[in-house]
Amino acid sequence: MQGFVLGLSSGAVCAAYCAPVLVPYLLGEGRGILRNFLVLAQFLLGRLLGYLAFAFLAWGLNQSILRDTGQRTLLIGSAYVVLSVALILYSLFRTGRACRAAGDRGVANRLRGTWPALVLFVAGLATGLNFCPPFLLAVTTAAEQASLAQSVLFFLTFFLGTSVFLIPAPFLGLMRGVSALPIIGKMAAGLIGAYYFYLGLTLLAGGNYS
Amino acid sequence: MNPERATKVKKVQSRQSPGKSILLALPMMVLTLIMLSGGRIPSDPQKLFIFGVTYLFFNVLFFLMIHTGKTDRYRAVAFIAFSLLFVVSFITHMFEARGSMSLSHEKIILCEVPFCHLVIPMTLIPAALTKTIIFPGMITGGYASIASMFVIWIGASLALGRGWCSWGCFFGGLDDAFSRLLKKPVLPRIDRRWTYLPWAVLLAVVLTAAAFLSPTYCSWLCPYKAVTEFNEVTSFTILVQTIIFVSLFIGLVVVLPLLTKRRTQCSLFCPFGAMQSLTNKINAFDIRIDRDKCLNCKRCMKACPTLSITEESIRAGRSLLSCMKCGTCVDVCPTGAAAFHIRGTPVGEGLNGKRLLFLYVAFLFLAIFAASEIQEGLARIVRLITTGSMI
Repeated sequence: MQGFVLGLSSGAVCAAYCAPVLVPYLLGEGRGILRNFLVLAQFLLGRLLGYLAFAFLAWGLNQSILRDTGQRTLLIGSAYVVLSVALILYSLFRTGRACRAAGDRGVANRLRGTWPALVLFVAGLATGLNFCPPFLLAVTTAAEQASLAQSVLFFLTFFLGTSVFLIPAPFLGLMRGVSALPIIGKMAAGLIGAYYFYLGLTLLAGGNYS
Repeated sequence: MNPERATKVKKVQSRQSPGKSILLALPMMVLTLIMLSGGRIPSDPQKLFIFGVTYLFFNVLFFLMIHTGKTDRYRAVAFIAFSLLFVVSFITHMFEARGSMSLSHEKIILCEVPFCHLVIPMTLIPAALTKTIIFPGMITGGYASIASMFVIWIGASLALGRGWCSWGCFFGGLDDAFSRLLKKPVLPRIDRRWTYLPWAVLLAVVLTAAAFLSPTYCSWLCPYKAVTEFNEVTSFTILVQTIIFVSLFIGLVVVLPLLTKRRTQCSLFCPFGAMQSLTNKINAFDIRIDRDKCLNCKRCMKACPTLSITEESIRAGRSLLSCMKCGTCVDVCPTGAAAFHIRGTPVGEGLNGKRLLFLYVAFLFLAIFAASEIQEGLARIVRLITTGSMI
């Protein structure tokens, strides 16, 4: 319950951190509301796995990641680079649907049909590994839990609390009639990707991007 | 142009006689006298001279607009002068106050950074979420405070919509000036997909500003830092930011406007401009194309410096949402089909009256908003001539 309440109380900030990744993608795909909910589910699944992976990792390494600033910076930097590569790839290549005429034969066609979903899953995973302020707050509280199971449960409920704030995102599908939005979404994904790429590289190089 | 139709369509006479022009310009003369003087004519001879020059400058231009029936030709003179003298005034002010154009950490911590309208889109979501303005400026008082810029922006949006970008923005005159230097464009065609870029930049900077609580456009992309103020280069990141904004200034404000004869920074990059387009929806004035008079010569489309007229929009009888109401299309239209229009009124009727009403609002706004910067810029130039120093 504590994790859920913490998630609810800091979810707006969490949504602000996820929006630069999620919004351009939803606009870029130009799908309807229901399809957008599926897309959001893919993103959230990635984010959940990111949270849980972190809970395991932090516990497994005896929380050394939390204490060691260098390791923490390395992790955030890597997450930013992964995130940026996903966004830049998404913005540069036309995703579209796999060609029906080719059936299921072509591996490339199958990949073309599925990789946009992978982009969002990977993006969700990378945002899950980001040290945004609400996440840091959750980490601090999770560290006080008695067992690994409790820590995982805490992250799970925290995830549910923050996810509430992302529910409005699929309603961007209401604007699907605006034909320019997919192009704008992809352009924005590229710009945000470039920004994250620089932030990631700076952090990996041991610098401070501010 | 179809010559058969051309003979059928009567040329619109928007030119006025000198006497009638003076009469129509009279309200502007009175209003600018009140607004520019603030009810008190300067007694100092130098200030009086500068005041007189500024007053005459605006009123002669307004008279010519009415007398010749041309809008953009004279608007551009005032608008470009505004931008150039703003730059002169701002830079000398910075040198006077700080000794350089660069911002120090001290000034940022003291929240003494002048606020400009380009920051507005990035401040809205963080202000709603955290009740904080994510910019190290002064809320009230001081030079270019946040509250004063918000008030001016709201007023301009209600009065002019995106007309702000051609009548009020103190940066817009720079790429406008460069776009007029060559007679013919070297690069006449621009892929229309690029007109979506300002929206993408807007989306990117608004989202990243909300995530990092930092005005990302100001830090990373604003080309006008090259002619106003910028961060002191104290780190690799600031060096990268400096390279980016200088490149953008050279590319979007100087080179591309020169080569394309379009306002590339304003129409292909500026996120504030994209946001301002939305205010065209709530504004009373717009540009309409009367299909009955239109010869389909596409002069308006070729001349539009902001790519706001397309073949589809001509067919639809209106300019696009991105229209900055500069009046170029109205000036080049041979039949008066493209004209200023007031929402809710019939298209193609009372064209001169509608144009005049728009000009009173837009020109008065420009004159009031620009006058102090123009006077300050002129004062600096006079000081340079008389004392050898602008400071």
